[in-house]
Amino acid sequence: MNFGLNVPVIRLLIVKDWQLFQKQLAAYVLAGFAALTLLGLAKPWAFYLGSLALIVVLVAAACFAIATSLLVERKEQTLAFVMSLPVSPLDFTAAKLLGNLLTFGVPFAVLLLGTLVVILTTPLPDGLVILALLLFGHVLLAYSVSLAVAMQVESEGWNTFAMIGSMVLINPFLMAIGQIEAIQGPLRGDAIAWSLPAALILAGQLLVSAAALAGTAWWQGRKAAFY
Amino acid sequence: MTAAFAVKGLRKHYPDFALQDVDLTLPQGQVMGLVGVNGAGKTTLLRLLTGLAAPDAGSIEVLGCRLPDEQVAAKRQLGFASEDMRLYRGQSLDWHIDLVRRIYPEWDDAYARELIARFDLKPAQALGGYSHGQRVKALLLLCLSRRPRLLLLDEPTTGLDPVARAEVLETLCDVLRDEGRSVLFSSHNTHDVERLADSIGFLHQGRLVAHADKERFLDNWRRVLCLGAAPGGLDGWPELVHVRAAGSQVELKVRAWRDDLPQRLSAAGLTVQRVDPMPLEDIFVTAVRAGGAA
Amino acid sequence: MYQQIVDQITARVMAGDWRPGQPLPSIRELAAGSGVSVITVKRAYEELERAGVIVTRHGKGSVVADRPEPARALLEEGLRHHLQEAIAVGARLGLDRAALHQRLDVVLDGNPPTSQSKGSQS
Repeated sequence: MNFGLNVPVIRLLIVKDWQLFQKQLAAYVLAGFAALTLLGLAKPWAFYLGSLALIVVLVAAACFAIATSLLVERKEQTLAFVMSLPVSPLDFTAAKLLGNLLTFGVPFAVLLLGTLVVILTTPLPDGLVILALLLFGHVLLAYSVSLAVAMQVESEGWNTFAMIGSMVLINPFLMAIGQIEAIQGPLRGDAIAWSLPAALILAGQLLVSAAALAGTAWWQGRKAAFY
Repeated sequence: MTAAFAVKGLRKHYPDFALQDVDLTLPQGQVMGLVGVNGAGKTTLLRLLTGLAAPDAGSIEVLGCRLPDEQVAAKRQLGFASEDMRLYRGQSLDWHIDLVRRIYPEWDDAYARELIARFDLKPAQALGGYSHGQRVKALLLLCLSRRPRLLLLDEPTTGLDPVARAEVLETLCDVLRDEGRSVLFSSHNTHDVERLADSIGFLHQGRLVAHADKERFLDNWRRVLCLGAAPGGLDGWPELVHVRAAGSQVELKVRAWRDDLPQRLSAAGLTVQRVDPMPLEDIFVTAVRAGGAA
Repeated sequence: MYQQIVDQITARVMAGDWRPGQPLPSIRELAAGSGVSVITVKRAYEELERAGVIVTRHGKGSVVADRPEPARALLEEGLRHHLQEAIAVGARLGLDRAALHQRLDVVLDGNPPTSQSKGSQS
């Protein structure tokens, strides 16, 4: 069952996006590893520098994936070329969503895995795993919302606002979870202690991310034509 | 025989523009030229014909496929190139060929190589280094090499130098040899339309003000030079679009020419000196200035 | 534009490049080859057929007519048209018949006619 999708062309478009961005994304992964190395030193200054660098790399990779696959394509008018190929708006949406899940998802997953490995195998307290997951969860949420906006809205201003706004919110978000004792308390311990607020926040992040992407796919799939 | 495309009662509203009640058919094997000033609706019509836009009312059938529902099937047999379409600057022509060839099974590699040679393109070079003309030719190459049954070209020769333009037009002529293939192209360049088109569609302010086979369309128009004083009421003659007196000469532009016109002009006191057919360019400008009276 | 095709073909037939009975290129072939639309060539063929320069047999395409007179007549017609234009210009200059004759002689003397203008059409 393929829901009327033009799967071979979708696959080609995803491969195309991957080819276009693979070098830059590899560079982001490398920069991410450098940040993880700093983290792994388990010294206070290195930890702060490393976590800051990691957040910068994650945010940059997310913005880069969205900007190059949608905003730049629109601006450089290569979207018109893609839409002239035998694809429906739904095919196009599927190709863009899946392509983004690949171009952003791969570095995201690699860095998430790397972060967990670093936390668990170095003197860093293992309780930080929760914080790391919530942090990656926020980036995922900000990325999904920005991607949804980029798919729906042509205005460059709104897109920049959505991307920067959602990503910058990471700062108040970290401050806010710092206020929740149930989350904050076990971070310094060596046990990975899930609390109800932490679990709820992570579940919320994943749910809203999935809803933003699914909503975009549903909305685009209803459209009979691009314009 | 199925038409290359047929549209009926087509309407499309945008906030500051509306395409209204367009009925247009292109028989298979023919070339149609679309003329109209900027903003007349040429690009909107082409977008509707490629399924990129959905009409507010009316029906569109392209190569037997109803649009926009069957746009995927239609686009498989379509070649579409527009002025606002760009290729990836960081990638080479070979990379683009590789992408397009995988999508269209009809891709003709020998013809693609022939066009690369004819257009003098460097297939391994990144397109960012191409000139405008080379980019247009690269885009056309990607369209033509898949041997589409219908070519939809939005301003294919705009901005090209004379040599590149000649190359592009000659290549379009290759398409004429096959009676199963059709072309619709829009152009500011009325010379190109006058040369290549079998029929002419004339859009003005979102309406199709004229559509006829080219020879008949051109036959309807004449420029008439007369001697004498222009009698009053000449402006009221429905077939006269333009009346201008300069000294003892009167220049008339006629949109519905009939052989009895010189006689009627004589009766009105004008001596017809010469009657000339008008080039499309002149017809176009005259009709637009007269508010789309074609 | 169809007039150009008519002139070209008539010139070729008159020059003997295309012999009586010789098949003409198909309409599409000539259109693609000379870079003009199919309908223009069709119109030119119709004119040539009406003038008797070519004969179209249904389903078999067109061939050059057996007799050269129609091609000649068509060229004569073209000449008459050019002369009429010249006369109209002469009228604007206020030239009478004798003056027109004299102008024609001047041009003829200045540009001695070549025996045959073969192959001048491309």
